[in-house]
Amino acid sequence: MQGDVILDCKGLSCPMPILKLAMAIKKLEVGKVLEMYGTDPGSKDDVPAWCGKTGNSLLEVVDTEDGFTFFIRREK
Amino acid sequence: MSESGAKNKGSLRELYDVFFSKSWPMWVGGILLGVGNICLFIVLKPWGASGGVKNWGDNLFNLMGGDFANMGAVNLFPYSVLCIMLLLGAFAGALFSKQFALRFPPIGELFKGLIGGLLMGLGAVVGVSCTIGGFFSGWPALSLGAVVFTGGLVVGTWLAVKYLLFEVNKFPKLSSGKTYSILDAGKGKGSWQPILGFVVVIIGMIVAFRYTGTSSVLAWFAPIGLYLGLVCQRSRFCVVRALREPFMSGSSKPALAVMAGILVSMFGFVVLKFMGVRGEMIWVWPHFWVPAIIGGTIFGFGMTIAGGCTVGSLWRAGEGHIKLWASIIGMMVAMPFTAKFIKPAFFDALPDSMKQMFFLPEKIGYGPAVGVFLAIMLLWYLFVKWNERTGKFSAY
Repeated sequence: MQGDVILDCKGLSCPMPILKLAMAIKKLEVGKVLEMYGTDPGSKDDVPAWCGKTGNSLLEVVDTEDGFTFFIRREK
Repeated sequence: MSESGAKNKGSLRELYDVFFSKSWPMWVGGILLGVGNICLFIVLKPWGASGGVKNWGDNLFNLMGGDFANMGAVNLFPYSVLCIMLLLGAFAGALFSKQFALRFPPIGELFKGLIGGLLMGLGAVVGVSCTIGGFFSGWPALSLGAVVFTGGLVVGTWLAVKYLLFEVNKFPKLSSGKTYSILDAGKGKGSWQPILGFVVVIIGMIVAFRYTGTSSVLAWFAPIGLYLGLVCQRSRFCVVRALREPFMSGSSKPALAVMAGILVSMFGFVVLKFMGVRGEMIWVWPHFWVPAIIGGTIFGFGMTIAGGCTVGSLWRAGEGHIKLWASIIGMMVAMPFTAKFIKPAFFDALPDSMKQMFFLPEKIGYGPAVGVFLAIMLLWYLFVKWNERTGKFSAY
């Protein structure tokens, strides 16, 4: 899977990944997919919760060499 | 291996996964920390965090020839030992769940960690409290100053959230740039982490055992610290989130977790105080109301910039976040200097009526005092739930 826009949150800790995610989604066109990299274990709970709350779709979470990648589609 | 042997191994694996495959709900952490808090009060006094880190700083600067407070060596002052063991416990928790890695953030973030830590150190000394001593333990101690301090924390947190939103919008570069992550347990790596986790716990228990000959208090504080750190890391328990989320995502879960912990602690603390087992004025600080509101506001701002209060910094440091190491260094620097050069003049300038120890049951009795605290918590609960539904105060 590939995103339309990349958001690199590696090395960041709470609350920066979620803040940056919220800003990035605002700038994204509806229907496009954000590819977000992260290394904070907290993001694994926070990103799905944030998507659930804001009504955006978490399409996939992939474990990578040094962390994880989230694919999030802007829904509205 | 025989079939039943394999099944036993499978059962053990299942048990291990219960604790270490997913994060625990934060409210479970809150309750477990409340129980740990009562244990600490039975052993000596309730949970507190910044006193321990201040002691690290005092010792460091005394070693460098300074003349700062002397509460004892880092391995003999109970709260200092508690903080070290808490960090170790979080380290073990992160290792068991393969979540440890040394995570170097962009330089701007390191700087924010340091500034946040400096502000927390300033606020903790001026306000005679932090989120643990003046909130998580202060409310159960039925100290009205703790409520004022918490009010300050809310104000500081709210201001800092405004700042963070401004920063991410206007200066996104500050939180981007080169980052490194080493020793991580990514895909297919890191099977050494759980093994090292066991080693850390065993070392921690040996340390605790070695205290049994000299100090029963330390012999208990050491393993309880280990336990607190493990619980914090596994449940990602975070007072900053409890106060911040209403202004950010609107989630009420972290606030409920803190309330759960306060409720459990209050049960135990009231029994210990009411029955005369422990002194009534313990954890009732002389900060009602001016030091509490000023210190709380500064501390609240600092912890939100740093991304963790004193305990939040300690357990995240144990998980390997270098930003929170910077925050701890900031606190270690700010606290000794504030205590020596700022706090005395500040407190001298205040009339006694503005720096009181306010133990609520002294004025209205235990029953009504507990009732007042429960009522405040009910209002807090209704607020976060209403805000979660309506998003009135949330940024997104």
